[in-house]
Parts: sequence; structure tokens; C-alpha cells
Amino acid sequence: MIIRTIAGAVALAISIAAGPGLAAEKKLAVGVADALTGGGAVYGLPQANAVKMAADEINAAGGIKVGADAYKIDVIAYDDKANPTEATNAVRKLIDRDGVKYVLGFCCSGSTSAVASFIAKEKAVMLVGNAAERSITTQKIPNLVRTRPPADYTGQAAGTFIARKGHKRVAVVGALEVGFYSQYVDAVEKELKKAGGEIVAREVFSLRDRDMTPQLTKIRALSPDALLVVGYVEPAAFVYRQSVELGINVPRYGFTSGSEEQFLRVTTSEQMEGVWDLRPTELTLLSASKNGIAYHENYARIFKASPSPSSPYAYDQLYALKAAIEAAGTVDNTEAVAKALRSLPVPPQVVMQYQPVDGKMFDENGQAYTSNGAFQWQKGKWVFVEDLPSDAKAYSLFLGTLK
Amino acid sequence: MLIEILQQTINGLAIGGVYVLIALGLTTVFGILGIAHFAHGSISMFGGYLTYFLMTGYGLPLIAAIPIALAAGVLLGALVEMLAYRPVRHANHINAFIVALGLTMMVEGINLQFFGHEQIVIPTTLSRVFDIKGVTVPELRLYVILSAILLVAAMMIFVEKTKTGQAIRAVAENRDAAILMGVNVTTIPLIVFGISTALGVAAGIMVGALFAIAPGIGEGLVVKGFAVLILGGLGSFPGAILGGTVLGITESIAAGFISSAYKDVIAFAVMIIVLLVRPQGLLGRAP
Repeated sequence: MIIRTIAGAVALAISIAAGPGLAAEKKLAVGVADALTGGGAVYGLPQANAVKMAADEINAAGGIKVGADAYKIDVIAYDDKANPTEATNAVRKLIDRDGVKYVLGFCCSGSTSAVASFIAKEKAVMLVGNAAERSITTQKIPNLVRTRPPADYTGQAAGTFIARKGHKRVAVVGALEVGFYSQYVDAVEKELKKAGGEIVAREVFSLRDRDMTPQLTKIRALSPDALLVVGYVEPAAFVYRQSVELGINVPRYGFTSGSEEQFLRVTTSEQMEGVWDLRPTELTLLSASKNGIAYHENYARIFKASPSPSSPYAYDQLYALKAAIEAAGTVDNTEAVAKALRSLPVPPQVVMQYQPVDGKMFDENGQAYTSNGAFQWQKGKWVFVEDLPSDAKAYSLFLGTLK
Repeated sequence: MLIEILQQTINGLAIGGVYVLIALGLTTVFGILGIAHFAHGSISMFGGYLTYFLMTGYGLPLIAAIPIALAAGVLLGALVEMLAYRPVRHANHINAFIVALGLTMMVEGINLQFFGHEQIVIPTTLSRVFDIKGVTVPELRLYVILSAILLVAAMMIFVEKTKTGQAIRAVAENRDAAILMGVNVTTIPLIVFGISTALGVAAGIMVGALFAIAPGIGEGLVVKGFAVLILGGLGSFPGAILGGTVLGITESIAAGFISSAYKDVIAFAVMIIVLLVRPQGLLGRAP
């Protein structure tokens, strides 16, 4: 009895003495639902890596500060295989079993839309990364924000760029069964038509297709003056390779966001020479800010591979979340954090070059905008050539009118 | 138009060659042992992965890696027969079916564990493109088509002209009679699985060089293999050859002249139409 009393008193004394110190070591579990395997993994895995890297950096710098407490981030990542059912299961597991309130990642539109359909009912905040389907941010979901701009925002700028190059007959081959890719092409077509041009073919490939020669043979017979490739990196890389093999010798444009490393697994640099990628101004070393260069170096050092250009969307999610939690002064009140996200200025640590709307990183729809850029493959590298004309404020107003 | 048709035919021949090899492996096993060997696609992907590993891990040239992978395929096939299918040979058919499904999952898991989730492309130096009056033939595709023809010819010669081949056909025709004629029916399944897996490995290498190997690709391939089997006629070697070629070219022509969005649908629709007219398949025997 005496020993028990002494032990209790000692424990109490230690806890009182170390009180503030223990409070500083709180943990905040942050979930990641993303494609870690399968076709979407080219985007999802680098996103998950990026979140982990950002978490390590934030933890090393003292964590997320809420009042007197500092929260160290604990990342729990599940593989959603870019599949709607798997994504729903992964997020349910994060929220129901792991008690997670903040879910990041989301590279691919189908799986993201599935989670977006129920997230409004949850006491959780969803931060979407690379998934570009427009409808994700037209539903006015108060606890959802997205770092990547919608595909048609970029498509409009790309269409203007292609039209300015003087192309009148553009053939498209892409993952057109995926909503955001067809939205991109629709926006391109609208701009082409304004300039008197047209899309002469819309050929389709699926995520698992690797033989595009039938589609390309058909396109070759139509004698287009440009080829537009929209789709995931891996099938797109095969299109570029096989277009050369079939002797299609016209300017090639794309909307893929793949890294040099990802393309060179399939094609040679010679087969890629001159290809344009018209996309959000994502990470390439020649367009990167100081943060971007540091991000690239750290990612390559930690994961022994170059980061995919779109991976900073997820990295930026965590810094935006950190800033919002600190601004809201709470980790438990997800409503307050969601509100804080929508009134957040662009945090200084982010990698992408955001175009704030009314001084805020996310607009009323929960949508962030980056500038769009024209990148060209030159001697084995994506080279940033120029900015594409983009008006974030005007697009934000347009997005607000959609349901 | 003619050039387009010829080009689509050349396009379809390469993938058709892969389908033929997969289907030949499946039909050999099915015709002789009555087993629907679902793991065949995953095992063929293993062959592709192994070739890539030998090239990148040990610096072997493709020409040296291929025979090693084929030999490993023969060995692996024999092991699969001994360890997975032999114990259930005399059991109900459903047992072999379950073993086949389990084996598929196991091999997919092994591929994922050892070779990772990323797609890999087997590197080759065959990058020339031949232009024959407007029809372009990439060098790699040409080699794939020629290799498929060679392997099919070798397989046919083996089955038709050698004693072991005759024994395999005898077991396929009438197992009991084959036993009475002194055929060793314990060794035949080992040989059949060895050959079948080697053909699968060859197909895996072709897919890896032409396109890519990744988790899940083998499953898609085995579905096409079974489609070819049904189209050509169950257990028929010439049927598998014809069926694979027809499926490859149909897919290509359908994508080129009808719609790329429905190329698989059209290919399978053709298969259904053929089966409505000839339920036994193109070259299968009527029951």
C-alpha cells in the first residue's frame, strides 16, 4: 500500500513537472487515400510520398502549433488503386477505424468523385490533389478543397496555344472515357473552332491499353496537321513511341504531366523530341521556384527517384492544412479548419505557383489555381517554354455558376 | 484504303502472335489434362519480369536472357504440375479449378513482391522502322511476328513428328488406350506443363518488349487466351493458331474502322457470332 502510494505520488510529480512538455508531443493522424499500385500509381505513389515528406519536414520543424500544443503528424496511407470502391473503403477505414479527420492524396478522378459524394456528411476535411474532374469542386462541398485546377481550365489555354500555332486539323487520341480528359478536349475544340480549326478524330484508349497502332493508323489516314494526346502517362508514352514507328510526322501536343523518367521507361528521347505538354505549370526544374528546386532535391534524395511533376499538389495540401489548422486554432473542429482553408492566403512553403483569387489560395468553390504552361521535350528533358494565357478569377466565377 | 487495311493487318499480327502463343499453352494443357490453367497469364508475365531482371540485374543481353527465361519456364511449368495440379488430378474438376484460381493469385502476389508495382518495358535495340510502300513495319514487331511463327512451327513439328509429341497426342485422344500402349502418363503432364509454360514465357517476353508488363496484365491476357481457345476450338492446335490470328487482326481492324472505344467488344462479338454458326469453334471437332 505504501509502495503504491509512493509510486502514485512520483508519477503525479513527474506528470506535473513534465506537463507542458508532454502536451507538446501530441500526435495528429493524417490519412492518405491514393493509388499506390496499378495504373494510377504513376500519380498516386509520388503523391503519397510527397505527403510523407512534407510531414517529416513539418515534424522536424516542431509540428503543427495549436495554442501551447505542437502536433506531430502521423501519416496513414492506404491504397485506393484509383478505384471508386477501394477509395470509399480506404476513406471509411481512415475515418471510422483510424479516427482520421483529414484525408489527403486523391490522384485520380473516378475514385475521388466516389469519396466526394459522401464526404460532406463526415466530420472530416478532404484535400484533393491531382484529380482534375471539374465536378469535384462544382458541388460546393464545404469540407473539400483541391490544389489542382480542373482540366478544362487548362484545356482552354491549351486550345488557344494550339490555334496560335496555326493548326487547323487536329487529331485527338486519349482516355476520352475519363470525364476530365474529354472536358480538356472540349475546351481545346472550342478555342480551335474560334480560330477556324477543327478536331478531325477523337480516338480512345483505356488505362490498360498499350497498343495504340490501330488508332494511330486511322489517324494517319486522315492526314491531320497536329496530334493531341490526352491521358495517363503510360499509355500516352506508347502513343508517342508508336506514332514515330508509324511515321506520323506532325507536331504532337499532350496533356499528361509525366516526368522524364516515366516517359523514358517506354520511349526513347528521340521519339519524344519536340513533344509539347500543355498543362498546369507543375514541377519541372526549369520552371521551378526555390521551393520547387528544394522539393525536387529532397524527394530525389529520400525516394531515389525524381518526383512526378504533379506530386507537389499533395505536398502543398499538407502545408495548406497546417496553415489552416494553425489559423483555426483547433485540430478537432473540422468545420473551423475547413472554413480556414477557404480564407487562407497561399502558404510560403508550397511548391506550385498558385494564382490566388481575391488573395486566397482556394476560391469559394474550394478550388486552387496554378498558372498553365507550355513545356516541350528538348534533348531528354521537359523545358518550360512559356506561360499559357489563363484567367483564374474569370474561371472561378464560371465554376461558381456550375452545379 | 488498301494501305490502311494492310497496316491494320500488320498491327494485328503482332498482338495476334502473342495471343496464339498464350492460347497454344492453354490448349495444350486443357486438351491433354482438362485443366483450365488460369495462372498461365500471370506465369507468362513472370517470364517477362525474369527476362527484364536478367538483363538489368545481371547485365545479360536480351539474346542470352531469353533462353534462360525459357528454360526457367520449362522448370517452373513442371513444378506447377507436380506441386499444384498433380495432387488433385483424380479429384473432382472443381478442385483443379480452385487450385488454378489460387495459383493465379499466388503468382500475381509473387510478381508484385519481387518485381514491384511499376510497369516495366524490356529494353531492346530494335528501333528501325521499315516502310514498304506506305505500310510501316517496326523492326521489333517484325521479330515478334517471326518469333511467334518459329515457335508455333517448332511446336507443331514437336507434336507431329517426335515420339514424345505422339505420346502427348495419344494421351489427349484416349488416355486409357495410351496407358495400354505403354505411354508413361506420369511424365506426359510434366512435359506438357513445361512446354506450355515456356510458350507463355515467350509470350510474356514479347508483351514486355512490345508493350509493358505490369500487375494485372497477365489476367487480361489469359482471358484473351481462353477466348481464342473457344474461338479456335477447344484442344485444337490449328484452331488456337487461327483463333489467335483472327482475334488480333479483328481487334486492330475494329479499332481502325469502327471504333477504338469498342475494340474489345467488337472482337468478342465476332467470337460470339462465330460460335453461333460453329458452336465447336473454327477448327474444333463437332461433338
